[in-house]
Amino acid sequence: MTGESVQITLPFSCLASGAREVTSLYRELREPLLRYLVCLGLSKDEAQDVVQDTFLSLHRHLTAGGAQNNIRGWLFRVAHNQARNRQGSYHRRFAEPLDPHFAPMVDESTPERMVLEKEKLHRLEKAIAALTDSERECLLLRASGLRYREIGEALGMATSTVGDTVERAIRKISEKFDV
Amino acid sequence: MCKYSTKLIAWLDRELEQEQMAEMEQHLRECVECRVNIAKYEGASQLFDDYCNAVMAAEPDRDRRRWIPLLSAAAAILVLVATTAVVLRTRVQPLSPSPTAIVQPAQSPLVPEPAIPPANAMRPRRARAKRSQASNWLPLPPQPAVEVAIPADSMFPPGAVPEGVNFVADVNFAPDGSARQMRLRPRLTAIERSTPQP
Repeated sequence: MTGESVQITLPFSCLASGAREVTSLYRELREPLLRYLVCLGLSKDEAQDVVQDTFLSLHRHLTAGGAQNNIRGWLFRVAHNQARNRQGSYHRRFAEPLDPHFAPMVDESTPERMVLEKEKLHRLEKAIAALTDSERECLLLRASGLRYREIGEALGMATSTVGDTVERAIRKISEKFDV
Repeated sequence: MCKYSTKLIAWLDRELEQEQMAEMEQHLRECVECRVNIAKYEGASQLFDDYCNAVMAAEPDRDRRRWIPLLSAAAAILVLVATTAVVLRTRVQPLSPSPTAIVQPAQSPLVPEPAIPPANAMRPRRARAKRSQASNWLPLPPQPAVEVAIPADSMFPPGAVPEGVNFVADVNFAPDGSARQMRLRPRLTAIERSTPQP
C-alpha cells in the first residue's frame, strides 16, 4: 500500500472544523481500516469508499458533540457495520478459493512475499476459514492493533468475551496449523 | 494442564493487570509447558498477521482501472467533437472566403486585403481566422477567459487528494471586468507528467 493514492472527497466544512483531529486519526487509522476491510472481503475500491464514509461519519459525530472516548473502536465499528451491509463482498473472502489471489505470494523473486510458502498458505487459509465470524473478526481487529476494549466497542462485545474469543481463535489456529 | 494456560494470550497482548503481568512473567521462568505454548501462540499470531498482509497485497488495485473508462469516454467525446467540427467546416467551406481568395483581393473585393504576416505570426493568425469562421455558424459555448491552475495541496490537507491530482479553475468575466462564473475541475497532472516523452 505504500505510495498508493486514494481518492477521497471531504467537504470544506469538514476541513474547517475539527479538521486536525479527523486528519490525525485519518493518517493513523486509514491503513489499518483498509486492511481490515479488505481482509473481511471488500475490494480495495469498496474499502476506500467505506473508509471515506467512516471519516465523514466521524466528522458528523464530533461536530454533534458525540463521545470521544474509545474513538478507535468507534471508527472500526462504523466501518465494520458498513462492511456487513455489503453482504456479497463480506462473504467473498472465505467463499472463494484463494489460489488466484495468492499466486503472486509464492513468487520467490520477491523476498517479502516468501514469508508464506504455498503449502503453508493453504493450510493457514483453511484454518482461518474454519473460524467463526466473531473469532475471525476479533483476530482481524487484534491484528489491526486494537486493544480488547476497542475490539469490544467495534463488535459490540464485552471485553472479557473478546479475550475468550481471541484465545479460542489463536488456539484453533495453532492446533490446526501446528505452529 | 497448567492453571496459567488460559491467561497466556492475554499476557502476550498485555491485557492483564500489572500484578498479573508480573505474576505471569515469574511463572514463565519456571513453567516449560507455558513457554512452549507462548511460542506457539506467538507463531500463530504472526502467521495471521502475515495472512492479512498477504490478502492486502494480493487484492488487485483498481484505482487506476477506474479512471480508464472515464478517460476513454473523454477521449471519445473529444474525437466526436473534432470530427463534427471538421465535417461542418467542410460543408461551409464554399461559402466562406478561402485562403486563396484572401490573398487575391481582385476576385473578392468584399474581403479586406490582408497584411502579409511574418512567418512567425502564422499560427495566431490561423487561430483567429478559425475562431472567426466558427463563430459565424457554430453556437460555441463561451470559452473561459482565464484558466488558473491550483495545486491541490493548497486547498486540501496532505493525503486528502490523490497524488498527482490538481485543479483548474475556468473563470468567465462579465463585460465590466467582474468575475461572472468560476468552474473548478480536477486535472490529472501525474498522468500528464508520466507520459513518456518521444
